[in-house]
Amino acid sequence: MKRHLLRLLAAASLGLGLVATTFAAGTINIAIGSSLNTLDPNVVRIGEEYVFNGLVYNGLVRIDANGRIQPDLATSWAASSDLKKWTFQLRHGVKFHSGREMEADDVVAMVNRVLDKAVGSTARGNLSMVTETKAVGKYSVEFTLSQPYAGFPDLFAEHQMKVVPRDKIGSLGVQPDGTGPFKFVSYTPGDRVVLAKNPAYYLPGEPKLDGVVLRIIPETAAQIVALHSGEIDIAWNVSPEMVSLLKSEPAIAIDTVATGAWEGLIMNNTTKPFDDPRVRKAVAAAIDKQTLVDAVLLGRGTTTLSPIPSNSVYFNSDIKIGPADIAAAKKLLTEAGYPNGFETSLYLPIGRPTRERLGIVASEALKAVGIKVTLQRVPWDQFNKEIEGKAPFYADGFFSRSTIDTSVYPFYHSSGSWNSGLWHYKNADVDRLLDEARATASDAERVKLYKQFQAAIQTDVPSVIAYNVNHTNAVNKKVVGFKSSPLLLLNLSSVSIGQ
Amino acid sequence: MLTYILRRLFSIAFILVGVSVIVFLIVNVMPGDVAHFIAGQFASADVIEAIRARLGLDQPLGVRYWHWASAFLSGNLGDSIVMQRPIGPMVTEAFGRSALLAAVSFVFVAVFGILFGVLAALNHNRAVDHITSIFTYLGISVPEFFWGIVLILFFAGYLQILPSGGFVPLSQGFGPWAAHLVLPAATLTFTLIAHISRQTRSSMLEVLTSNYVRNARAKGMPERLVLMRHALKNALLPTVTVLAIDIGWLLGGIVVIESVFSFPGIGRLLLFAIERHDIALIQASVLLITTAYCLSNLAADVVYAYLNPKIRYA
Repeated sequence: MKRHLLRLLAAASLGLGLVATTFAAGTINIAIGSSLNTLDPNVVRIGEEYVFNGLVYNGLVRIDANGRIQPDLATSWAASSDLKKWTFQLRHGVKFHSGREMEADDVVAMVNRVLDKAVGSTARGNLSMVTETKAVGKYSVEFTLSQPYAGFPDLFAEHQMKVVPRDKIGSLGVQPDGTGPFKFVSYTPGDRVVLAKNPAYYLPGEPKLDGVVLRIIPETAAQIVALHSGEIDIAWNVSPEMVSLLKSEPAIAIDTVATGAWEGLIMNNTTKPFDDPRVRKAVAAAIDKQTLVDAVLLGRGTTTLSPIPSNSVYFNSDIKIGPADIAAAKKLLTEAGYPNGFETSLYLPIGRPTRERLGIVASEALKAVGIKVTLQRVPWDQFNKEIEGKAPFYADGFFSRSTIDTSVYPFYHSSGSWNSGLWHYKNADVDRLLDEARATASDAERVKLYKQFQAAIQTDVPSVIAYNVNHTNAVNKKVVGFKSSPLLLLNLSSVSIGQ
Repeated sequence: MLTYILRRLFSIAFILVGVSVIVFLIVNVMPGDVAHFIAGQFASADVIEAIRARLGLDQPLGVRYWHWASAFLSGNLGDSIVMQRPIGPMVTEAFGRSALLAAVSFVFVAVFGILFGVLAALNHNRAVDHITSIFTYLGISVPEFFWGIVLILFFAGYLQILPSGGFVPLSQGFGPWAAHLVLPAATLTFTLIAHISRQTRSSMLEVLTSNYVRNARAKGMPERLVLMRHALKNALLPTVTVLAIDIGWLLGGIVVIESVFSFPGIGRLLLFAIERHDIALIQASVLLITTAYCLSNLAADVVYAYLNPKIRYA
């Protein structure tokens, strides 16, 4: 009735007739913050693209709500006893949206594509141990690795590892073609992505929705208004500021989940004064992590020791995350030869509000131990090129990675691909622990090794991991069955819209 | 007059070439390049090199410009490097939507600006004059993103009679199409209207004290005719020039408006391309905007000459 009145009002006052665009009843409208750079599933790099990928494509495996690997396009997998040969059995009869059946050759082509340097997929680094990929018959793929790697199946849950039709690779940017619950209809950069139900989806009865519209709405105020008026049903990955503004909306529920996404204060372990572990420990001791969560994230995060979040089975809860210890920090600085502290610049990328706040709160905390911090705000491009991996002290952060190994190894192993672009950390103990965790076949042993890793990095503090960021969605209460994902995906297969 | 127009068109071609060279050079001195963007923060040097080789970015600057320019002139705008989509339809569709928004706003600005200006002049130093002054100054002195959000909150949030943003093509019905244009066009109009109303007001005031207006009144001509035939027609000459300048303002202001109202126009597409160093997409968008700007200036000059017999271009 209310809606009817509003329409009348609109018609009367403006002579425009129907205002809200009418879609099919089972179509869900979701606000995302930024345009997708690319629709090519193997080179995606930002959260909005991961969301799209998760709706249109499948990987060989997927990660469930508890962080466990589950079958997706592969139904089962097995390794040789030395963990160097892996065989995946593919699901039979899964069809691409264009109609052809997905086969082992498609998986091989996808892996080779990701491995091609010139394609520029960020998942390439994960696969460095793959020496051979081959199809065995129509429904089985065999991988040969150069080293034992127990977490190999996990790698196929990575965002970029989506199976694509090998004969359509050149046109994926224009006409995406996957096996996922929704098929591509249209993309207007800056406006919207329209998806329709895939009636041939391999899970019977899913998806329940007729379609999905991803609306690109960069402005927070516009997202709030669109939620309020029912123009959109879900606002994806909303900021802590937006959450506090939505508290008074009776029809909107806030759904939050802890994730492995993190931000931190990065200290370059090879430049003065941060090449001295005592200085790094002093910085860590001066900072109260709970204050960071409260002030920077407005409470929407959790304290942590490393990128591993506190709700993970690998998290080491025996290590206490205490309040700031000014006396200990001053003592460490004196031992390191800085009894009166020192001056330094902290570089912050412009346009990331949480990292800017992190810099402000941290600089205040460091003042108390005599470290005088000048905040330097730097444009993003320049930050990438001149600051990351180079400057002595800066604030940075990363999205969740799909697997425990890829969340830790590239950052902390001395040969890790991201270590050299970040803090230049080197610790033989940590290297050994991470290598062993890769090679062990036992889950319990792996949990133990990652807990030891977290203890090991307390001794020489590569940098300060400030917190894990929660992922939050604002959801209209008429949406049924929605749950936020720690990987920031939108799992809409079993979601429906009630009245 | 015809030779003048031809000469101007000729010089526009030169401007376009110059702009394309400048854009090419600027993109090259910006930190990072599109290969860095594709590969992400921590890509190793060999990966960046491989991507550059695939995209032809390892060629010398001059060669790359030549490749781009010769393809462009033969009508091949190429693909957006980042999006892997053909540029032609993307840019023309986005430009069409922006042009529509700009045209609607332009008409609003012209009609209401002149109307307010005349009203203010006729009621010089009275309440109507002061109210229009305050209203138009409010529009010009507060940034457009503020008024955009205020309008969204009021019409889409509180009254819920208009959508908060986005775009719907005309093929989905006139109602939704027009509804999506109202708020962005109103915001643009509000931020620009002061230029026109102030200009019209002051030249109208000037004209109203002129000898020919006094003469017309003295010979007993009805006031309506005095205003329409003698006063307004002369007072509008400077307004036409300001209107032409406003087209430039429209093209600039539209970038902000498009972001606030999530409107898929050329401004946001250009911003997107610049942030990603997507050179071919930047070039196509910039050249289209430059052309529109040059042509609107030319049109203003021609209209001006037509309206004012004292102006003659040779």
